[in-house]
Amino acid sequence: MKIDPTPAYRQPTIFGYRISTRTLRREAFGIFALVALTLIIIGPMMTVFLWAFAERWRQPALLPTEWGLSYWYETLARNDITSAMPMSLGLALTVTALSAIICLPAAYAFARINFPGRQGLLLSFLAVNAFPRFGLYVTIAVVFFRLGLVGTLPGVILIQLVNTLLTMIWIPTSAFQNIDRALEEAALDVGAGRLRVFFQITLPQVFPALAAALLLTFVSTFYEAQGALIIGIPGIRTMAVLMYSYINNQIVVQYGAVISLMLWLPSLVLLSFAQKFLRGNTVSSGFGV
Amino acid sequence: MATRSRYLNTLFAGYALIAPPLIILVLLIFYPAGQAIVRTVMTDQEVGITAGLTLDRYFNFFADPIARSNLWFTIWVTVVTTALLFLVCFPLSLYLRFSNSRIAGIVQVLALFPLFVPGVILAFALIRYLGPRGTVDTFLRIVFNYTGFVTPYLKPSGIIFALVWDHIPFTVLVLTAGLRQVEDSVIEAARDVGASGLRVFFQIVLPLIQRPLLIVFCLNMIGIFGSFTIPYLLGPAAPQMMGVYMQQTFTDYLDRSGAETQAVLSFLICSVIGALYVRTVTRRRGERA
Repeated sequence: MKIDPTPAYRQPTIFGYRISTRTLRREAFGIFALVALTLIIIGPMMTVFLWAFAERWRQPALLPTEWGLSYWYETLARNDITSAMPMSLGLALTVTALSAIICLPAAYAFARINFPGRQGLLLSFLAVNAFPRFGLYVTIAVVFFRLGLVGTLPGVILIQLVNTLLTMIWIPTSAFQNIDRALEEAALDVGAGRLRVFFQITLPQVFPALAAALLLTFVSTFYEAQGALIIGIPGIRTMAVLMYSYINNQIVVQYGAVISLMLWLPSLVLLSFAQKFLRGNTVSSGFGV
Repeated sequence: MATRSRYLNTLFAGYALIAPPLIILVLLIFYPAGQAIVRTVMTDQEVGITAGLTLDRYFNFFADPIARSNLWFTIWVTVVTTALLFLVCFPLSLYLRFSNSRIAGIVQVLALFPLFVPGVILAFALIRYLGPRGTVDTFLRIVFNYTGFVTPYLKPSGIIFALVWDHIPFTVLVLTAGLRQVEDSVIEAARDVGASGLRVFFQIVLPLIQRPLLIVFCLNMIGIFGSFTIPYLLGPAAPQMMGVYMQQTFTDYLDRSGAETQAVLSFLICSVIGALYVRTVTRRRGERA
């Protein structure tokens, strides 16, 4: 006979529910984690938020001494920002589009066509993760320097393309692999053309994963600063690269805070879709997990 | 005959579709990395003199006390940060795996939040939060009248704190996904025969999640070793992490061959971990096929 390790009379109750001591201990940890993470993760973000709307923040004060939006107008009127913003958006769009054109057909082939060496070639894209990132950028920069690509737009596009390959190939490949082939065959049987099957049966099934891959690529390219810094300077300055000088030269704090919030907007869009991506294995399939 | 030519057509289509990203991979990763490795062991080529093999560049690197201390510092930060990450993320992931409470839902959102904060914004936010006269400093002064807060800004602890912050989501994501593969029944069976919580963790859970564990370990080590933005913006002027050192050598001192040597050295140091990563991922693919 098995003996119940925690007899009912020993269990504490909360709001009339019986709760085992194990659950209680676990949720105590949960509350501790909640408080710690709020302080560590939300704290810094809130600080930036406050600074962006601070007209004046005399130390020492817990909150800005005067609130206002005047730094938003001032920041948005700055020449470096009005030229960096379109540059950043344009670059991110170009790189994402190029990456999609280059990688999506390949992802389809990796998933659906059985050719010798397929597994090995698919795995070779992991090499991007197996190198320390900045070391790789430096060796690319050395080659680009010889080719005269340092400080040019094509140079920055190419180095940012490197970052997108794995996401753009692995996530769509696993999506194409998970397609229900029976549906496609049924459609072909009733006389649908190949193109029509692709657009009406195949595409809708992979659409969420493709959207995830595109969005992730766009956002990560928009934020990419290291490659753009080492290849782009001095000719090309994106918003993310501008942040380096805004942080190191400590000009007006509010400028940095306003740029941070503006840079953060695309992330908010991503965040609102996040629950969907993170629940499945969409994102982790981009790391080979 | 017809089927054979059809098969060849499919093969051809397959290779044609995967060619573009493969070409990018070879030209932008394998070629720059490979030529950098070769160039670091060659004597300087001049007209009429055939190139020879030499390890001079490496001897020069290790003869320089600054270079040596930067390399050790990078290894030290990488090991300490990775260890801390496991220390923070294991309890979190275990909690998220075993709790379904509302608190767990919020903890998960908080733990994944840094995924949506790019490095430059993180650095800016942490300076304002933990820097001298930052939010935490001010808070301690005003509320507790405590003036002894020591900022981690421009110190090794600043780099480590920010790198842990940055890598929490990925680590938690992968560990939680791994832990979900471990079935409740296995753990309950072990508990029923009297195994303690720690013993269940080390003897049952850990071996079962070996694969995600290895992947997250490798990617964290390589990611931290090759980091640039955070050590550049939050770290001390000396010693520097290799990413910062390389950027300075390349951009400020215009010493391309020096930067190349530093990059190849970081490749060599990370190659063991990179190989382990590729092997871990490959093994799973092999088993599944």
